[in-house]
Amino acid sequence: MAYVATRGGEKAIEQAERLFRQDLGTIDPDRVETIRRTMPYLIDRVMGEASLYSEELAALALAQTGGELSEAVLVLRAWRTTQPRIAIARPVQQSELLTQRRISAAFKDIPGGQILGPTLDYAHRVLATDVLEGRPYTPPMVDMADRPAPQRQPVLADWQRQQGLVKPAVPSEIAPEDIPDLTREPLLLPASRAHRLQSLARAETGGVLALGYSAMRGYGNAHPTVNELRLAEAEVVVRHPRGAQFSAGRVRVSQAEVTSKEKGGYLELGYAATFGWNEVKVIAAATLDLNSAEAPVGSAVHEEFYLYHTESVEASGFCIHFKLPHYVTFQSVLDAMRGAKARQASARAAEENQEESVP
Amino acid sequence: MSLETSSALQRAAPRLMADAPVLTMAGMSRAYGAVQALRAVDVSVYPGEVLGIVGESGSGKSTLLRMMNLEDTPDNGDYRLRLPARADRNLFELDRYERRMLRARHIGIVYQNPHLGLLMHHSSSGNVAERLLVAGERSFEVLRSKARVALDASEFPLARMDARPIELSGGMQQRVQLAKAIALEPSLLLLDEPTTGLDVSVQALVLDTLKRLQRERRITMVLVSHDLGVIRTMADRVMVMRHGAVVEQGLADQVFQDPQHPYTQQLVHAKL
Amino acid sequence: MSLATLTKPWAATSYGFLDASAKRELRRKMLKAVAVPGCQMPYASREVPMARGWGTGGLQVTLTLANPGSVIKVIDQGADDGVNAASIRRFVSSVSGAAQTWDTLDASIIQSRHRIPEEILRENQVLVLQVPDPEPLRDVESNISIARQMHADADYGKLWLTLYEQIVRKGRIMQGASYPALVNGRHVITPSPIPRWDVPKLHMSKHLTILSAGREKRIFAVPPFTRVEPLVFSDRPYLVEDHAGLTCQRSGLSGFFMNELPMDGGGSRFEVSDSNLGIKAIRRTEGEPDGIGDTWYRNGEYSA
Repeated sequence: MAYVATRGGEKAIEQAERLFRQDLGTIDPDRVETIRRTMPYLIDRVMGEASLYSEELAALALAQTGGELSEAVLVLRAWRTTQPRIAIARPVQQSELLTQRRISAAFKDIPGGQILGPTLDYAHRVLATDVLEGRPYTPPMVDMADRPAPQRQPVLADWQRQQGLVKPAVPSEIAPEDIPDLTREPLLLPASRAHRLQSLARAETGGVLALGYSAMRGYGNAHPTVNELRLAEAEVVVRHPRGAQFSAGRVRVSQAEVTSKEKGGYLELGYAATFGWNEVKVIAAATLDLNSAEAPVGSAVHEEFYLYHTESVEASGFCIHFKLPHYVTFQSVLDAMRGAKARQASARAAEENQEESVP
Repeated sequence: MSLETSSALQRAAPRLMADAPVLTMAGMSRAYGAVQALRAVDVSVYPGEVLGIVGESGSGKSTLLRMMNLEDTPDNGDYRLRLPARADRNLFELDRYERRMLRARHIGIVYQNPHLGLLMHHSSSGNVAERLLVAGERSFEVLRSKARVALDASEFPLARMDARPIELSGGMQQRVQLAKAIALEPSLLLLDEPTTGLDVSVQALVLDTLKRLQRERRITMVLVSHDLGVIRTMADRVMVMRHGAVVEQGLADQVFQDPQHPYTQQLVHAKL
Repeated sequence: MSLATLTKPWAATSYGFLDASAKRELRRKMLKAVAVPGCQMPYASREVPMARGWGTGGLQVTLTLANPGSVIKVIDQGADDGVNAASIRRFVSSVSGAAQTWDTLDASIIQSRHRIPEEILRENQVLVLQVPDPEPLRDVESNISIARQMHADADYGKLWLTLYEQIVRKGRIMQGASYPALVNGRHVITPSPIPRWDVPKLHMSKHLTILSAGREKRIFAVPPFTRVEPLVFSDRPYLVEDHAGLTCQRSGLSGFFMNELPMDGGGSRFEVSDSNLGIKAIRRTEGEPDGIGDTWYRNGEYSA
């Protein structure tokens, strides 16, 4: 009873917030900059889930929430939603991506080559305890390649289309301002593909992984093969009011294309992309996309299920809302329960009376 | 073959045709992709009769029954039911809501698969009550007593009226479906292989119940089965279907004793 | 003319926090909701600086309706000083300049979680209810696409069936709060989880009620003078919570919805749930004018 409906409630909540913030101490630009510089993959994850590309704001969100990820994403999303839409960027073409890592598990080698790029995939995951013993870890320098890999890489699916393995791509004719925007309109089902991919792009990494993994483990109907996975930078090309197109900057993006089996004479492709470098998320999300077509209603790989349940802000908010008082609704349940008990008791008593009155 | 068909049609003796038909379907056609499931089928069903539709799987008999239950629409065709105080119109022109209400009030159905007809995790009495609720009944006592009467008429043991169908045997499940189907005294009762998959002895008991109900209540029934024995037990009139078309129809005794169409002859002789 | 005269000075956020496009969408969806009483209208539901499930749906409506002349009351479980109610009221006031109040009679907008105040609301008041789950069919149909079709068909058979089975099993309807109700004879709603005690207050009321679920992105409304009928059988009366005979140990009020407080050593004591009504009654015992308005319930009987 102390935490609700008492005088001084307003004071209590203010002090509770102070306690949280006091534990984190002063937040200054140095701290924000350190987080930004040293935690790029964490920043990427938060930017992806917030669907807002700003390393600085993401670092600030992490600093002021002490790394409470769902809180950090919420803060960024709440900031993002009030911002004006200044321009709509030109769609990014895969072949234009400044690609730093690009692999395919479908072929031993692919046109343009397998480019490993930065990864821990083949590293031994050993904790560098030496650092705590006072021996700082300085990574060895990368040896320069004889010739640098080309910045841009061909698209594997294009080769597959030439071979008749993958359906010809039919880009929809749609004006940029008419592209559905999940952040400005509700998700309605069946979801448009734009909404589905947008929703996956900003989905919670752990949630997408859990449901994507369930699809991979046999709860879905398509087992993924990674057709092409890319970590890249994309130019954000916008149009000046006077008509010129120019790059407003670059964003880090990940994208995954997975395939499984033949359908209607073609290989099926599942796709996902997100802001930042987050391989696990895009592979899992592409697997969910791939599984969508034939997913049974109500299953974990059906779009209604996975889109709703991987929405980070909604899921975490609802989960923590159960801390709010519910004593009115609870009282209502208690009343019905007591009423039913009283009724049963009086029915029993009536039966017993009847038995007694029988000679 | 067309000659044979038309002569068979003429010999479909109109025992009950003094009355206007309850159900009239004309020119029913339906294709699913390349498969022509129905080819210009005409059907009439007269008050109080049992029409048996027989044919192998893929003959179009179940498609036709689904159309009668307004679950599916044909590419072409006209469907009318003669109902008290209802305008005569092609039922395929009704909107979703009107179809649903018409189905709830005037058509009962028993499926081969009880999962299609029942809410397996609700009580048996509740399954019957739901039909009454959809039709607008709002008195708990009336719901209760009407559910009891319908279950009793289906020879369902009343001591188990609140058990869930999932806990019941196949025969009992069919009796719950039947009770649900007849609770509102429908103008038309559709039976889609109602005893297929049951033990022979259980099958006989369920058929007995159906026969008794038919006798007592004069319910107009359309029974679809691949089993000639079931059709012979139940039907007044028989329609034989093959490849989406009617190849022969007539009084049951006539068709079974003197089949005209080679396909019917083959069916009857295989059975005997 | 310069650019500066054509534009407003830059501000971190818009008036009332939400930007104009968000407010425009909400206004349109509210109008639609009023036009088809009880029908759930999907809306984008922007993120707000508060976690989902904590009244973000109600907050977006309140932020859209509020202006500097508004007087805002926010309650949680009937109490103005519940921690979350206080936090929402402070936020709305700080971004809109609206005045704050605890008094139901003074408020122009009342945002509430789980209760409708005991004093009768007027034509010029708007009640905004926070809704966690707007779908009355959720328990019988978890797939929202199918549930939407069921609403379109007015297919409420399964919902009625669950009530029928509760009576069969328990002898009475066991639905606690959020008792399903038919609005304007057409759409069944879950009236947010208000207790059964409060549902009659929605029926043919003078005020507008807007129900908004931020997380589920649905808005629906009960316009003034609209029928709201709980789903009940003709021979099984609608039962509100058995609170008519309880007395508030703080204010001495009786005949209103109460909070039950377990006591050490067993037993319970009760406090009136509408906390400001309690405060007014205490004022009366201190000899001041109480300022209690007409109430929906009189002597524990609904009589408005």
